[in-house]
Amino acid sequence: MIFWEIAKRNIRIHMLRSTLAMLGIVIGVVAIASMGILGNSLVATVSDSLKSVGDSVIVTPYSGGGGGMMGGSGGSSSASLKITDQNFLQIKRVSAPNVAIPVYSTSDHMKIGVGSDDIVATIYALPSDDVPDMMKLQAGDYNNGNSGCLVGSTFAKDHNLKVGSRISIGTDGSKGTLRVTGIIEERGMSFDISTDNAIVVTQEWFENTYNRKGDYDEVVVKVRDGDTATVKTNIEKQLNKHKDNKIVSVTDSKATLSSIYATFSTVTTFVSAIGGISMVVAGVSIFNIMMMSVNERIKEIGIMRSIGTQKKEVMSMFIYEAAIIGVIGSIIGGILSVLAGYAISALMLGTTKYLFTIANALSVAEGVGFGIVICLACGIYPAWQAANLNPIDALRHE
Amino acid sequence: MTSAADDQPVMSFRDVVKVYPLPSGDVTALDRVTFRVDRGEFISIMGPSGSGKSTLLNMMGCLDTPTSGDIYISGTRTGDMSDRELTNLRRDRIGFIFQYFNLFPLLNIIENVTFPMMLKSQRSVDPERGREVLRAVSLEEPLFTHTPLELSGGQQQRVAVARALINDPDILLCDEPTGNLDSKTGAGIMDLMTELNRKGTTIIMVTHDQHIAEYSHRTIRIADGRIVE
Repeated sequence: MIFWEIAKRNIRIHMLRSTLAMLGIVIGVVAIASMGILGNSLVATVSDSLKSVGDSVIVTPYSGGGGGMMGGSGGSSSASLKITDQNFLQIKRVSAPNVAIPVYSTSDHMKIGVGSDDIVATIYALPSDDVPDMMKLQAGDYNNGNSGCLVGSTFAKDHNLKVGSRISIGTDGSKGTLRVTGIIEERGMSFDISTDNAIVVTQEWFENTYNRKGDYDEVVVKVRDGDTATVKTNIEKQLNKHKDNKIVSVTDSKATLSSIYATFSTVTTFVSAIGGISMVVAGVSIFNIMMMSVNERIKEIGIMRSIGTQKKEVMSMFIYEAAIIGVIGSIIGGILSVLAGYAISALMLGTTKYLFTIANALSVAEGVGFGIVICLACGIYPAWQAANLNPIDALRHE
Repeated sequence: MTSAADDQPVMSFRDVVKVYPLPSGDVTALDRVTFRVDRGEFISIMGPSGSGKSTLLNMMGCLDTPTSGDIYISGTRTGDMSDRELTNLRRDRIGFIFQYFNLFPLLNIIENVTFPMMLKSQRSVDPERGREVLRAVSLEEPLFTHTPLELSGGQQQRVAVARALINDPDILLCDEPTGNLDSKTGAGIMDLMTELNRKGTTIIMVTHDQHIAEYSHRTIRIADGRIVE
């Protein structure tokens, strides 16, 4: 249609002005979309780190509002802040058919090889049969016998450990020597046990070495059947019958993850909204050039109206102009925001593997869409004003 | 034999009054103006500055509405029409020719001429019709793809005439059509008008030039908003 052609030609003859307006939109789209990409990539990175704990319920001794210390002075009903064997059996019963895994943990001195530095690391112990439910191995096997252990991937890397290496436990190896039988795959951050920088030993070895029996540090329920929220409620109903005498704290990892994701989502929205300010500035610039365009063409509008152009046709001419600037600017902005997202992800997260995701595509689409909508919205008033000019006054305009 | 439509005036004014309310007091631009224009007439409207010529032309072109009285164009009363209907009336029944040509600088000659056709058909049109009308106003073919600013004043006014004629209007309204041209070029444009009128086009021309008014068959003189002759 002729009005589309006129809009195109008007942009062409005012190329500098139109390009500057487009630049504003490009910057706005890049700001919004790249912030969205950063937020999404951040969430993806964290999700990846936490994906292994998404189906767990973690039961720890109740510590009286989080302030209790070992020794039982924090208002806890459990003087030693441990989960007893009896409590564990209750947890196991109410969680069935899901697997409940009792976990011991402590930290101790250890040495890797003769003459090495003394280090302190976390030691976890859990029933051998349950180990495959909690972690996967990148080397070796689960069957580690009584004097074998599994080591976390970061721990193995940092101390140059391989399957077959030996670790002396305790000051000067006072608690014996363990042989590495397997390297655990990286598990990242987790709510149950963090094995990346720890070693995992058999329950028997741990009980014998540290003289403990039936006083667990935590119980992890791997929920395969039903949902984590129900398991959590069941455990709380069974063990925390009295409000004033709570025995355990129960964490639903899925709910915790949801709350983490919700927080990230809020941060992403907030950061994108800051990017949106630049879009508003771009919108003001579009509004300004559209008003200039109308003011320069008042006489032309008068001629058009006098020879039979409808108001809506005059309006469409200016809307097309805003749309062309908006669509071109937004598409360029969309392309550049992928590049900006790549750079930001590489610099801030150290990885770009989360760049090409549906969430990021949606962020770019949102930025592009917002850019186009802003342009159209900012073109509407000038277009309306042009369409409603009095043709006689417009014809007299010099 | 003439039909009923041919007998009907292409335009008639009945007791048309136009009052502009101003803070300093109402100004009556047209005062009970009554006249009719029959098909095929060539009329000039003359009068001193401020006499109401422009207001009259705006009323005839449906760009303005009267305070009271009736205006009929081809038998249709314009007072009851919406803005949309009046716009369509301007597009289909009236051709405008302005003193300063008023072509669209962004469009080439063919596009300028076919612009009203595109408004009517709502889509692209056959440029051959534009060429045909441009040839009829004696514009040379090589100029058809030029932009208006590349043409002389006389050539631009011929393009404006072609644009006004493209939708076969009932009336051609001309506002000082030679006012911005030298006398020789102006005479050429007036010869073109005379030729168009001879072929049946009804022409109403506002001018203050007695020599130009002599091309018309009838002159309506206006003073202080009233027809005086």
